[in-house]
Amino acid sequence: MHGTSTPAPAAETTFHRSRRRRRFWARSARSAVPYGLIVPVVVVIALILGYPLYWLAKLSTQRYGLFELIQHHGSSVGFANYRSILHDSVFWHTLLRTVVFTAVNVTATMVLGLLIALLLVRVSTPVRLVLSSGLVLVWSMPVVVAVQVFYWMTNFQNGVVNYLLTQLHVGNFEQHDWYASTFSQLSLVTVLIVWGALPFVAITLFAGLAQVPRDLVEAAEVDGARPWGVFRDITVPILRPILLILTSLSIIWDFGVFTQPYLLIGQSKIHTGNYLMSVYLFEEGYFKADFGRGAAISILMLLIVAALSVVYVRRMVRIGVAQ
Amino acid sequence: MKRRVIVALGLVVVLAVASTAATSAATKRTAANSITVWLQTDAQSGWADVVAAANQQFQAANPGTSVNVQYQSWGDHLQKFDATLAGGGGPDVIEMGNTEMTKYMAAGAFAPLDKTQFDNSSNWLPGLAASGKYGGKTYGVPYYAGSRVVTYRKDLFKQAGITKLPATTAQYVADAKKLLAKNKQKGFSPVYLAGTDWYVAMGFVFDYGGSIATQVSHKWTGMLDSPKSIAGLTAWKNFFLAASRASKTTDETHPNPYDVYAQGQAASMVGPSWFIGSVGKKYTASTGQFVMPGHVKGQTMPGFLGGSDLAVPVTSSNKALAADWIKDFTDTQSEKALQAKGNIPNATSLLSNSVNERAAARSWFVPTAKHWVDVENGNILRNMLAQILTGKLSVKQAAQSASDNIASVLNQP
Repeated sequence: MHGTSTPAPAAETTFHRSRRRRRFWARSARSAVPYGLIVPVVVVIALILGYPLYWLAKLSTQRYGLFELIQHHGSSVGFANYRSILHDSVFWHTLLRTVVFTAVNVTATMVLGLLIALLLVRVSTPVRLVLSSGLVLVWSMPVVVAVQVFYWMTNFQNGVVNYLLTQLHVGNFEQHDWYASTFSQLSLVTVLIVWGALPFVAITLFAGLAQVPRDLVEAAEVDGARPWGVFRDITVPILRPILLILTSLSIIWDFGVFTQPYLLIGQSKIHTGNYLMSVYLFEEGYFKADFGRGAAISILMLLIVAALSVVYVRRMVRIGVAQ
Repeated sequence: MKRRVIVALGLVVVLAVASTAATSAATKRTAANSITVWLQTDAQSGWADVVAAANQQFQAANPGTSVNVQYQSWGDHLQKFDATLAGGGGPDVIEMGNTEMTKYMAAGAFAPLDKTQFDNSSNWLPGLAASGKYGGKTYGVPYYAGSRVVTYRKDLFKQAGITKLPATTAQYVADAKKLLAKNKQKGFSPVYLAGTDWYVAMGFVFDYGGSIATQVSHKWTGMLDSPKSIAGLTAWKNFFLAASRASKTTDETHPNPYDVYAQGQAASMVGPSWFIGSVGKKYTASTGQFVMPGHVKGQTMPGFLGGSDLAVPVTSSNKALAADWIKDFTDTQSEKALQAKGNIPNATSLLSNSVNERAAARSWFVPTAKHWVDVENGNILRNMLAQILTGKLSVKQAAQSASDNIASVLNQP
């Protein structure tokens, strides 16, 4: 009896199996669609980013100077370029200087940006309009022009900064040389960079603040929360994703900044004692026409920025999960 | 939408590659009947007629060959040149600053030239001829030179009671004090001298018998910390502090000394002889020049002999024609025309007695090392001078550290 009944379940199983298989294929096809859709993008990125990156990595393992440039091919030296950089005390000093410089710049940018954004929420509409137009004007100023204006303002002989400080009796700033020490040079660069970065941060955070629900704040206030408490427990958590992105971007920008320090300090005042990472790269790679070593420095910079960003992103994500 | 952007991007890349390919193909095709010459803009603004005359002469001897002169600027011509070495389409003749030559000669960027082909080659200015020689071969033909002199305000000197031009550095300092007593405005310099103008500072070093670096059996040794060099640097420091109110950390182009002078803020300035043409209308009549005195009476301060060479890149496909053009552009007639424009001609046999030529009689030049240009670009000398003037380091400490730095840069493989 049992024998007669077996075909039915068997057929059923086959039916089920084929249906399952069909479903599997359908599911695979469906899940493959997104991958298929991003293939063109991946191919293009691989071509315009991956290919140069491949050459950069290859160049970094070669001796490639002026001689090799004329011969059109370098000679492979393995990791000698990396070894020479990692044994170069200038590299380590530059790295430390750049990390401190980045930390100061990013902190100043974020804190001031947030303060301006909070101010923008509080002020009346006309004042907000004036403030935000001012910010947009700063934003639209080309970097090179901004550098030139800063350079004139801090001029040794005729700079308006020296004139004003003297007139305001802050001290005798006549013929004060703002470029006399590395600290002073990099402080000026910091002012210039933070000034230029504020509009983007402030306006983005202002847009983020618009997402903070009014009733939530009111409810907290009814419950007796002080302004600082509201800020810490409501505003900041809601802004967290924006803060995260802005900070990461600022780290990447400020770590690799070149135009401001190079132009404001000026080529003739650049020396190993005031290098920032990008300036070090430019001087070693291009000025000395040692392209292999330059490529190795670029790769190291890439890795450092990636490491800095990863640490920060992971920490922020963990905080998010814990809450 | 994104796809379209991608397609557009792809097209741009393809077009860019295609157009580059097209340009290089075009360059090759026209190469046979034209040569490309890179000169600095100084020639364009100063002596375009001399260039035109040389072109005419060249074309008379080589009918059907045109000369394409492209003017370059000092700031970026080497980066452009590097790019053409890698990618092609470069010049057949290039003007190089005399301190820029060695690195390129050592890398094999230039074709060797037959010295005897050129006029006056046995009397070439020694300093300039040396900058175009490497490993016993000639790669650069001296083009012209320029020396550094003092440009001064005759009226202010007279006002301060200076009747005779200074014959020693010490007298010049004494005169500077007199000038300062008569001109009390803020920031006024009796002798405007930028803090990190190493061309002037090294003149003091050489005046006291010092030097920058010396080579003994293929190894460079820094010489700035030698007692004679330190004496020179100390003399320069004292001179600066007594005579100049310029920034101690600025170079000789920020601001331009002649701009400070034209604003009435300087009684004199040390710099290239052509400064006299840039002092502004107001002071043209009252401006004169003299040779910077040395610390020993009767001897002038050794001046940096700046100058240019002409070279033929190895990438040129018309090396013989290129050499012919150089021959025409540096023959006696062209050099005399350059001299008439206020330059120093390329041969001692052509010298007369102008103030810049007298200054060139005692001159110094940078070490002819492959990596010298890295010392310049790394601002090792400028940084040392700033450290000395701002008092951050003593003369001895700053010289010691610069000397070590220079040796390590010059001894790179």
